[in-house]
Amino acid sequence: MLSALEGPTDSALDTRIDPPPAGELAPLAGVRVVPSVAASAAACCFYGFSRHDAPARAAEIALDDRVPLMKHPDDAHRRERSRMRAQLMERLQRGDAEACRLLLDDIGPAVMRFLRGRVAAADLEDVYQEVFMALFEARHTYERGRPLEPWLFAIARNIAADHARRTSSRASWEELSGDPPERAEADSPARAPDLDALLSRLPAAQREAFAMLKLDGLTLEAAAGRAGVSVGALKVRAHRAYKALKKLIAGEGAGEGD
Amino acid sequence: MADAQHSAHAERHRALVESLAAQVRPVRPLWRVRVRAGLWLLLETLVLAWAATRTGDDHAARFAHPFYALEVLSFAGAAAVAGMLALRAAIPGRRVAPGEIAIALGLAVGGTVLFILGAPVNAGASLGAFAGRGIPCAIETCVLGAAPWLALWWAVRRAAPTRGALAGALVGAGAMLFSFALMRIRCSIDEPAHLLVWHLLPALALIGLSTLAGSIWLRFRPRAAARM
Repeated sequence: MLSALEGPTDSALDTRIDPPPAGELAPLAGVRVVPSVAASAAACCFYGFSRHDAPARAAEIALDDRVPLMKHPDDAHRRERSRMRAQLMERLQRGDAEACRLLLDDIGPAVMRFLRGRVAAADLEDVYQEVFMALFEARHTYERGRPLEPWLFAIARNIAADHARRTSSRASWEELSGDPPERAEADSPARAPDLDALLSRLPAAQREAFAMLKLDGLTLEAAAGRAGVSVGALKVRAHRAYKALKKLIAGEGAGEGD
Repeated sequence: MADAQHSAHAERHRALVESLAAQVRPVRPLWRVRVRAGLWLLLETLVLAWAATRTGDDHAARFAHPFYALEVLSFAGAAAVAGMLALRAAIPGRRVAPGEIAIALGLAVGGTVLFILGAPVNAGASLGAFAGRGIPCAIETCVLGAAPWLALWWAVRRAAPTRGALAGALVGAGAMLFSFALMRIRCSIDEPAHLLVWHLLPALALIGLSTLAGSIWLRFRPRAAARM
């Protein structure tokens, strides 16, 4: 059963339509709209297919990543999956690395879908990683026996809100501080070396290490987490990158002097 | 293009998961909210017992007065509710219903109304005498609230509150409303102006400070992510 959870790819189980407010589909007093039925009806209205095809078509649409909506009709299946996630979380709290892998792989697509509606596409990957780190750090706060999802999405929402706050404060700061100073003239003898060109000549791993530490300003631990290597390995990569860049800059300077 | 993006994401996901899995260690889950709230109330009871034994008043005679008993119980009840809500608000995904906050608020307001109606205002006292008798009470209100505040703050901090200001306010309310109730037992003055200015006002000021402190220091920010 756990094999069904493997891999970060999406599955039909994750597909669900957020039902529209019941009032929109049941304007008549006394008519009760079951959420999954409302979801199918909403999908029919939006995409123009018959109601019998709705669940299948809805699943296709969600897999196509165009729609964040959908509610799987099989609630029992979803409950079972939720229970399994809770069990994996309990195992993770006890220090089970395999449970950690299974759980993070399983929730990955759901977290990504959750963030997609809240975070700009360019920042999605960074926020996704932040959410995972936060989940990992706050794992002791999960209460055993409770469903995992409210806990999980509360943390994800908190990280997304933090990110939005950071982005907006950065934007207002940039607005306040005005235009950056102009670059040195291209033909100036004292011009700075073209960092992009130099970086492009480094091996990818070294380039990534340099960019994360020196351009993005990440800490060693955060950069190592993002690169998926140990802090020591990242230090070695960064050190090699510095040495290679030094050599390249020296070589360029000598070339210009000739 | 989409395939390339998807595979790049999958690669990064895999690296991240492996990196986190390599750091997995057993953690001690938080105790249930009601257990932690019970322990905190036990601490409050100890402070109460300590405070009650250090006054020469006849507590039984004072509690025989229904307004007084109801007032002290209202503040103690409001403090207990606020403390429990603070602990619950610190767990991601656990909500604090507005109705629950209204209960705590209602109890505190009810208690305030009771002590205002419970005794006549003494308009004849000089400002010096009023302050001379009041300042020690204000200091004691703060001192008696310190230990419960620290204990509750630590308990909330150990969890992951996503709304720092709310958590800070509830921590402050839990500790300071209880401190107010304790001071009603310790202080023999029932005069409403004294209670408002030297008991309630310091408690409210500290709740405000706690809210501010909560919004700055209590909000859960993952260490790794905060540095990113």
